[in-house]
Amino acid sequence: MQQETEDLTQSIHIQEFLFAIKKKSDHLINYFLFSFFGIGLLLAFFYDTWQIAVGVGSLLLIAYYSTKFALPESNFYQYVLSVVLGVFMAQYIYQMHGMFEMHFVAFIASAILITYQNWKLQIPLMFVVGFHHALFGYLQYAGSENIYFTQLDYMSLQTFIIHMILAGVIFSICGLWAYQFKKYSEAHIDLTFKKQEIENQELKTANYELDRFVYSTTHDLRAPLNSILGLIEIAEDDATDEMTLEYFKMIKGSAQKLDGFVCDILNYSRNSRMQVDNEQINFTELVNDVIQNLKFMGDSGRNVEFKIDITNNTSIHSDKNRLLTIFNNLVSNAIRYQNHKITNPFVSIKIDSTETETNITISDNGIGIAKESHPKIFDMFYRVSSESVGSGLGLYIVKEAVNKLNGIITVESEIGTGTTFFIKIPNN
Amino acid sequence: MDQPAAKPSFKKILVIDDNPTDRYIAKRMAEKHNFAEEIILYESARKALEYIQSLEEEPHLLPQFIFLDINMPDMNGYEFLDEYSKISETIKTNCIIMMITTSIHPEDLKRAENNPSVIRFLNKPLNKEKFGIIEQNFSSKKKSS
Repeated sequence: MQQETEDLTQSIHIQEFLFAIKKKSDHLINYFLFSFFGIGLLLAFFYDTWQIAVGVGSLLLIAYYSTKFALPESNFYQYVLSVVLGVFMAQYIYQMHGMFEMHFVAFIASAILITYQNWKLQIPLMFVVGFHHALFGYLQYAGSENIYFTQLDYMSLQTFIIHMILAGVIFSICGLWAYQFKKYSEAHIDLTFKKQEIENQELKTANYELDRFVYSTTHDLRAPLNSILGLIEIAEDDATDEMTLEYFKMIKGSAQKLDGFVCDILNYSRNSRMQVDNEQINFTELVNDVIQNLKFMGDSGRNVEFKIDITNNTSIHSDKNRLLTIFNNLVSNAIRYQNHKITNPFVSIKIDSTETETNITISDNGIGIAKESHPKIFDMFYRVSSESVGSGLGLYIVKEAVNKLNGIITVESEIGTGTTFFIKIPNN
Repeated sequence: MDQPAAKPSFKKILVIDDNPTDRYIAKRMAEKHNFAEEIILYESARKALEYIQSLEEEPHLLPQFIFLDINMPDMNGYEFLDEYSKISETIKTNCIIMMITTSIHPEDLKRAENNPSVIRFLNKPLNKEKFGIIEQNFSSKKKSS
């Protein structure tokens, strides 16, 4: 399966390359064709062959452009081009009343066709040239009126055969070059792709190792920290002295802050390294999990009211871990920075999902953020005031996670009134 | 304020953790919150497994809950679970395994959730709230007395 996908991407690379060649060549061909048409008009002065120059020339242009317009996806128009160029040669020979040098136009045509890097394009040209030479040569030889093929007074079968062999050799060589160029391009892309693949693999390994490193480091940091927290909890229970209790409270606060910092680093590293998941999201469950988790964090002992309003008409697919990170950070901020002057602190979570997007609004009636700080709150390590207890990573992580989900986040807040975060994420 | 007079909720629990401080915390917390009558502590997962297996003939002596740490030397939590899945059904129906860890790695969480023997994944430290949740969820297993 892995191999298949790789082959597919590889062939996509080659296709992209060939498509670029096709576009460039098509562009050049436009100039060539109109020059051919123009040369036809110039040649018309010599023997007064205006009807041929305009009539045949326009028909050829129409044939080429109508095919290209009707079948833009297929390469058929290139084969038509091959025929068109062959007929231009025939037209010139006729216009110059069999002037020998006009036969060289066939070689110009053959050389032009190399640009598409497709040897098969030489075949229609060869047939047109062969058919034209045989027919017109024979007719002139047979003495038909108004047939111009050569100014030579001899046109034996032997001359015709040598003529055709030489033309055939040139077409074959041009075809060979076209084939070689294509093979070379493919080999080159193959090589670049493989190199890229190896580099990608190395990067992936390095990323994975770094992730493991961050994981084990944070784990190792958290293990003793949680032991400390556990011991403080036991000790708090045993202590009766007012002063000691106060100390424990402060030690606990510092330990929790440290733990929060370590978790933030882990979250940040995970967000930047992990691929974006796409699983079905049950917002009711997700929000409940978050609230269950954060219920006990209000240190003031006050109950914060949660107002949940989820309008869910459709199935949502997104990245659950990143959504959890976003909700955890925003809801915990709302609880942490509640306004102690207000008697009914609340956190309101409103989620409205449609087929194409999900709008999340998380608002509170907390202490609020001053207007001048709004542009900076999503910056790394930015803390609104010295009273901010966090690491300064929380909102930065939120913004990064929202970015990973291709969403946008905005804030509205006023000191003393509360804060509202609006998040819009596309529904995959 | 130390020991509430009420009877402990459960009969016997087993704590497997290589860290002596964490074992102590688990023990003290369980005592304080009157969680179990008997608290068995094991430093080594391998020895704990032997202990459980030795009780196969006397299922009433089996611990009702096993609190299992993940990161341990010699045999870690997952290796313990692998071995545990091979032992007799009698033991498995009598014991409920709770993973206790400091990990917040979603991979660990998924791994624990996918293991049929693991009922719950708890973050350290064990405290009153966590014991409370267990008591609520498994009230049927409480000692009938």
